[in-house]
Amino acid sequence: MHLSAHLFILFVLLLPMSSFAAEPAEIVCIQCHSTMPGKIGEPVKLWKGSIHAENGIACNACHGGDPKDAANAMSPARGFLGAPKEAAIPAFCGRCHVGVLKDYLASAHGKALGKGGPTCVTCHSNHLVVKASLDIINEKRCSQCHSFERARVIRDAMQETEAMIVAIDKRIAAYKGNGVDTESLEKSLFAVRNRFHTLFHNVDVGMVKKESAGIQADLKKIQDQLKALDDSRQKRKIAGAVVVSAMLLLALFAHLLRKTFD
Amino acid sequence: MALLKRLIDWIDVRIGAREVVAKELTGYLLPRNINTWYSMGSILLFIFVLQVVTGILLLIYYVPDADKAFKSVTYIMNEVPFGWLIRMCHVVGSSMMVLVLLFHMISVLFMNSYKSPREMNWLTGFILFTLVQGISLTGYLLPWSQLSFWATTVATNSANAIPVVGPYLVEFLRGGKLVGPPTLGRFFALHVALIPLGIAAVVGAHLFFLQRTGVSTPPFGLKDTTNRWKGDGYSYESHPGGIPFFPNYALEDLRSIFIYLACFLAVVYFDPYLFFTRDSFIPANPLQTPAHIKPEWYFLANYQTLKIFPSEFIGLAVQGAGMTFLALLPFIDRTKERHPLKRPLFMICAIGGIMLWIGLSVWGHYS
Repeated sequence: MHLSAHLFILFVLLLPMSSFAAEPAEIVCIQCHSTMPGKIGEPVKLWKGSIHAENGIACNACHGGDPKDAANAMSPARGFLGAPKEAAIPAFCGRCHVGVLKDYLASAHGKALGKGGPTCVTCHSNHLVVKASLDIINEKRCSQCHSFERARVIRDAMQETEAMIVAIDKRIAAYKGNGVDTESLEKSLFAVRNRFHTLFHNVDVGMVKKESAGIQADLKKIQDQLKALDDSRQKRKIAGAVVVSAMLLLALFAHLLRKTFD
Repeated sequence: MALLKRLIDWIDVRIGAREVVAKELTGYLLPRNINTWYSMGSILLFIFVLQVVTGILLLIYYVPDADKAFKSVTYIMNEVPFGWLIRMCHVVGSSMMVLVLLFHMISVLFMNSYKSPREMNWLTGFILFTLVQGISLTGYLLPWSQLSFWATTVATNSANAIPVVGPYLVEFLRGGKLVGPPTLGRFFALHVALIPLGIAAVVGAHLFFLQRTGVSTPPFGLKDTTNRWKGDGYSYESHPGGIPFFPNYALEDLRSIFIYLACFLAVVYFDPYLFFTRDSFIPANPLQTPAHIKPEWYFLANYQTLKIFPSEFIGLAVQGAGMTFLALLPFIDRTKERHPLKRPLFMICAIGGIMLWIGLSVWGHYS
């Protein structure tokens, strides 16, 4: 065959390959499971709406296995773990969420593990993983196991602190946009926020209330620093009003003096 | 008082101070119908001095090093006593300088003072206009913020459109392929040494020409506005029976300067962020382009012009032609008539030009 004919065939063969290469390849887990019916296909759909999908955490990050090799994807030799038994769920999630696991195990929820107590997925669900937030503490979720009364008290205590943190964060951002050196304020808020987040897996009402009070006292310190900034801004404005008035008076004086020379 | 008189006498004996005062101040007569627009030049001189003084104060703490520049500006704004005031004055002052300069140019344009024999005044003024744009552009980079970095990237990039030499010119301006530490070094040198010296020298020439030709008579309120100068020999336009510069017009200048200061300080104290965006307070990051990069307000028309033409080269050429036309205006506009209301074609062109500039700026702002 002629050389140009060889090249043409090569081109035709390469064409579909190149069009595939343009799209980022999905991992094999999703390629197979998304087409499967029922319980085996469901996790893919749920995962797509989860905080994990949003952050790029895919199947193999939790379940192990080889996401690139369809034939051996679920081979234990490649690190495939499958689904954990109920009692093993906290340890399963805790491989990444180390601090949360500790807080959970220390709480009443964690102590009831294996005795009918909730695991991570009870509140956060398994594949449609919900982001940790105060919204999770709601009547529907909590009353699966017990009445909402105690949970409501905890939630109220935390909500107030959360609102304070959000408001302070906004004020710091506004000052940052005005060239104020907010580094130390941001660091303090970061530390307080972390401390606040450890409360999320504590279910001891007294403890949450006590901790919240401590956190709010720390937030108050940041608020005081912001107040000092507000005060100095206010002082600058007063000084500005004085200076601008002085200039206008001087302008008037020059104008009147000018008139005397007509 | 006696002591003061003795001091003046002592100086007078040595340099003839009273003669200089009589010639340049009290005896220096200005046209009777002189107006407030004539004090724009004095305001500009005052702003220039203020920029030099605040600039020198900023230099004490500013560090022209890409790793330290942003931190040093943050330090000036937060730690140095009244550092924020000095910096805000310098930043707001730069925008105000361009604004007053535009007013100065527009007043000269509408009073037709650029006409023969004042071509040299207009030309030096035009050079000052470009130098002020240059000093603003170079100053913009120094805080090494996201805004600085990306505005300079966009501004230097437009030189790319010039055929053949474009890419070399961009590399020369930046001191490398991209905006980086060498760009900061050369912009710093331009901003604090070369351009200020240039401006001072051209201001000297501008005032020298003003002094040699004499102040032009405003075309308003006078029946006879014809220029008697025929261009055949040097003549000084004196104003017999006019008002003395000192104290009369000097007080008017002073009044204008105080009014300017009131406006300027009102911005500095109450809304200094008028000329800032959020990106001005984020350190430069060459790996992250902010969403909306826009130049300073006075470059918005240029920026929009580059965008509306299909090729950047045409956009640049149109701007070059516009600037050349403005620079050579006194040589193109040869009529003797100086009253704007008696020159309909001139009025249409001048107002049309200003409207076009404002329109392009607004379009650039919202695009």
